[in-house]
Amino acid sequence: MTTENRVSVQLKGLRKVYGDAVALENFSLELAPGELVALLGPSGCGKTTALRILAGLDTDHEGQIIINGKDIASVPANKRNMGMVFQAYSLFPTMTVEENVAYGLRVRKVDREKRRAKAQELLELVGLGSMGNRLAHQLSGGQQQRVALARALAIEPNVLLLDEPLSALDAQVRTQLRDEIKRIQTEVGTTTLFVTHDQEEAMAIADRVGVMRHGVLEQCAPPQEVYLNPTNVKVAKFVGAMNLLPAEIVSSTELRVFGHTVALRASDTGAPSGKTGMALVRPEQLSLKLGDGKGPASATVVSRTFLGPLTRISARMISDSSTLFISMPSAQALQFVEGSTVDVDIHATSVLLDA
Amino acid sequence: MKKKLNALNYLVLLGASAFFIFPIIGATEFSLRANGATTHNFSNFQWAIQQDGFKTNLGVSLRLAILTAIAVLVLMVPTIVYLHLGGARWKRLIEFICLVPLVVPVISFALGVSTAFPTFLQSTVYELSFLYVIISMPYTYRALDVGLSSIPLVTLVEASRASGASMRQTLMFVIVPTIRSAVNGAIFLAVALSLGEFTLAVILHWDTFPTWIANISQGHILAAIALSVLSLVGAWLIVLVFAIAPKSFRSNKAQEAAA
Repeated sequence: MTTENRVSVQLKGLRKVYGDAVALENFSLELAPGELVALLGPSGCGKTTALRILAGLDTDHEGQIIINGKDIASVPANKRNMGMVFQAYSLFPTMTVEENVAYGLRVRKVDREKRRAKAQELLELVGLGSMGNRLAHQLSGGQQQRVALARALAIEPNVLLLDEPLSALDAQVRTQLRDEIKRIQTEVGTTTLFVTHDQEEAMAIADRVGVMRHGVLEQCAPPQEVYLNPTNVKVAKFVGAMNLLPAEIVSSTELRVFGHTVALRASDTGAPSGKTGMALVRPEQLSLKLGDGKGPASATVVSRTFLGPLTRISARMISDSSTLFISMPSAQALQFVEGSTVDVDIHATSVLLDA
Repeated sequence: MKKKLNALNYLVLLGASAFFIFPIIGATEFSLRANGATTHNFSNFQWAIQQDGFKTNLGVSLRLAILTAIAVLVLMVPTIVYLHLGGARWKRLIEFICLVPLVVPVISFALGVSTAFPTFLQSTVYELSFLYVIISMPYTYRALDVGLSSIPLVTLVEASRASGASMRQTLMFVIVPTIRSAVNGAIFLAVALSLGEFTLAVILHWDTFPTWIANISQGHILAAIALSVLSLVGAWLIVLVFAIAPKSFRSNKAQEAAA
């Protein structure tokens, strides 16, 4: 059931202030028709504000909201045709599941038979076809959010807005529903904005991830890109684990880390040579070999954490007592028992510098 | 979140219930007495019902009660919802206004009304409904405020708005059904107050059921008590109608649609 109304969304120069606090600053984002973009960031970074502005639930902001070429900034929330799923359970407690799903059609005065059929179709889509007569409180949290998703989709919305829909659920249900949201979104094809503070969730579900910090959109790119090629140190530190290694600036394009010369990531080039800073290196960009403790990158294994296919090792540098995290296939990690002396090696071709 | 009641809770509940129930039982028993308390039957009720003016005055009071209940809902529900949704800065003021009727003596209230109310309103008995709305505000405000505090109002309203509902639809389809018991409580308070109010009606020279009962009681005290019991039952019946009507209206519509 692919809907025909695939729309593009442009948010241009949004700015929102609550009292003295700036919630959103010069926020611009485009969503292609049918695209799923996740806004990722810590709480208070402005991601929910951006979503609520798009929904029309937060007003008094600067900037434009353009849907299919039309600025809808002055259109009230109930005329915007946005499907929204909230973090808190938001089903209407006095209505049955089916009435909840059909609610948007009821207020649009769609006749009863049509809205029942549509509600049933959507309940099937979210896997709750037989639950139509239940009341919200008779469902589990995961089921309630499925119904909320069906309710949001029933109006064939221009844009689907998901405001941390999985945060209140336990881990297993969360993963399951996450995959299902992705499946349903792909099937229905509705342009979707998804807000979350969970990196894994954002990475797993989104076509593009927008990383936000202090009301500013730092980077918006496909998940791999954000992880492997963060535009700046802030993004790099927020997304995934990151080691900070002492580095010496050799030239405007090169660094020296553990005796290796590594290219400096384009966006951060131009640092004065001869100075030092911290190179940002992912745990999987480091490797270990057993050593004698005399090399420039000698360390002692402090602990090993078995994570299934991968093992994460933490090691303390002998030179400055800083702690590093190295992740490697579990089979390889067996030789590095706690207390063994190792040499750390770096595999990154280019890194960011935190000067 | 269901909390288990402990012994003290039960004691308070029991005490409070007794406080309400015993007078009602007493009045009912009294109203049924006949032949100098030797037998019990409905003769007092029968006598009262046959008196002149029973129907007219009961009719007037019932109409006043229904009008008052409707006015309370139309005025209070949207106002208190607004206070909960973002008008918090007005909350203290509105709370204060709703408490004023408790401290203003009814006499001065009535005098104020007879000088300040527009004459076209003063020429009809329904002016009393306006006044009943006002004197019931301290109670109806509490009932509705507590009801709205107990639900996730903001989320429900936003979910409804995002679904495309206007504020009026949100009130009718989502909020009022969700706080149904609080709404019923407010209706009961407004109805009971309208059916029992005496002072304002007398001072403003209107004949209502309570003033008529007062007249009757001068000749036949048992009948007057019977009538008081009757108006209490009447109040319950009206609330019952308000509580059941929306549901049966809905199921009727469902049957029509199915047919």
